[in-house]
Amino acid sequence: MDKNTIEVLAHRAGLAKALAEFPDDVAISARQAADVAQKIKRPADPAAEPWPPMKAGTTL
Amino acid sequence: MSDLHWMTVGAAARAIAAKELSPVDLTKALLDRIEQLDPKLNAFIRVDGEAAMAAALAAETEAQSGRLRGPLHGVPVGIKDIIDVAGLPTTCHSKVRQDNMATADAVCVEKLRGAGAIVLGKLSTHEFAIGGPSFDLPWPPARNPWNTDHHPGGSSSGSGSGVAAGLFPMALGTDTGGSVRNPASCCGIVGLKPTYGLVSRRGVFPLSFTLDHVGPMTRTVADNALMLEAIAGHDPRDPGSAAAAQGHYGQALDRGIRGLRVGFVRHFHEIDTPADPEVTAALEHVARSLQVEGAEVRTITLPTLGEFGAVNRVILQSEAWSIHGPWLSERPGDYGKLGRQRLMAGAFMSAGDYMLASRRRLQMIAEVEAALREVDVLLCASSMDPACRIEDPAEVERTYPRQARTPFNVTGHPALAMMAGLSVGGLPLSVQFVGRYFDEATVFQVARAWERVAGTDKKHPPII
Repeated sequence: MDKNTIEVLAHRAGLAKALAEFPDDVAISARQAADVAQKIKRPADPAAEPWPPMKAGTTL
Repeated sequence: MSDLHWMTVGAAARAIAAKELSPVDLTKALLDRIEQLDPKLNAFIRVDGEAAMAAALAAETEAQSGRLRGPLHGVPVGIKDIIDVAGLPTTCHSKVRQDNMATADAVCVEKLRGAGAIVLGKLSTHEFAIGGPSFDLPWPPARNPWNTDHHPGGSSSGSGSGVAAGLFPMALGTDTGGSVRNPASCCGIVGLKPTYGLVSRRGVFPLSFTLDHVGPMTRTVADNALMLEAIAGHDPRDPGSAAAAQGHYGQALDRGIRGLRVGFVRHFHEIDTPADPEVTAALEHVARSLQVEGAEVRTITLPTLGEFGAVNRVILQSEAWSIHGPWLSERPGDYGKLGRQRLMAGAFMSAGDYMLASRRRLQMIAEVEAALREVDVLLCASSMDPACRIEDPAEVERTYPRQARTPFNVTGHPALAMMAGLSVGGLPLSVQFVGRYFDEATVFQVARAWERVAGTDKKHPPII
């Protein structure tokens, strides 16, 4: 993730103050997040459901 | 009675019930030990000695008149400081929450008190149960009683350190990516992450709604089962609470393991994240010992640790961001550096990332379920290394992800970590046992078999 993208995403997330005061921490956070999802196998079945599911009437 | 600080929960409760031990004497002995040792260990954020002594006196009066509240009557407990104890602040070890006074007990604390336990105080954690051992917070990080230069693991650091050091015989921890089992591994005690939903999370500060678990931490397997029995049970006001009936978790403890099928997940520590050779040798020793005890041990393959870890991280950091986003926007300087870095990561994850992880999660659950139809219990690594030095940030960073605990936060299966031996350097090595949903009793059965063979319940830190 390049510097400009990090800044745009940080501003959009409301992290302007963090970006001004702790720019290195924001950059480290962005790097931690950048490629983690690439390690996850994409389910081949388009109907593969997420977990946990919506279960009406079973809680609260 | 000597060595009160090494008494097990079960032994103390039995002695109190038989009027052979005074809860006041036990609590006083532990408070004295805390005063002596905690300045080196920093297990506590706050010792609530006055309230503990008042509760001990009440417990003594009740015991003398034959009225026992429950199976933990008069036994002291430590509470991780993200869990509410009425009248004390729940600081989450953070400046952000240092004045956050709890008005009611968390359900798990309420249940412990109902069983007769005496709350000694609030225990150190990584900031918001995620940061890491940090020196820029209002309180210092806990240290490992086996060697105070070393990390006690986290995030339930004070719970692990204090149980291992004999400051209290049991503690509550929480586990979102391994935070009960990591300190159990580093400190050589028994830590259980129960089945997701078995223990209520109400009154526990959330880190990640679908990954958070509350779990018992003790020095023995039997004590762990006893503590779980006190805190388990359905809570209609916790949306994740399971409706499953509460079990008798210690019922099979001394049955032995002849005929049980154990699946050894070797690729976790041999291929995915190659372990320290001492850890590998210890795990092989555990597997051989279980075979000698009559279990059938076979190799099992699951998804890789790398993928489990990625699913855990995406879900954890996305959900944590939904909690911490407003504070990180307004007061980022009130967080420690490690907590800030880890919690802000969720701001850079997309809805697509979260849904991908959540969809893959269901497939991973199905794969672990399939394995647990072939075997009764899984055996695998917990930590890939002995505890690193606490003041070596590079080593903390290197060893932190070298673990096999996150898979079972992703899937919600019960997972117990305990001592597998000691390293040449005198630090605990660890093993993990994993069971079917709500079958903690079989996990305890296998763990107890290993404990009996290895005598891990008799091993205490030599410096204490």
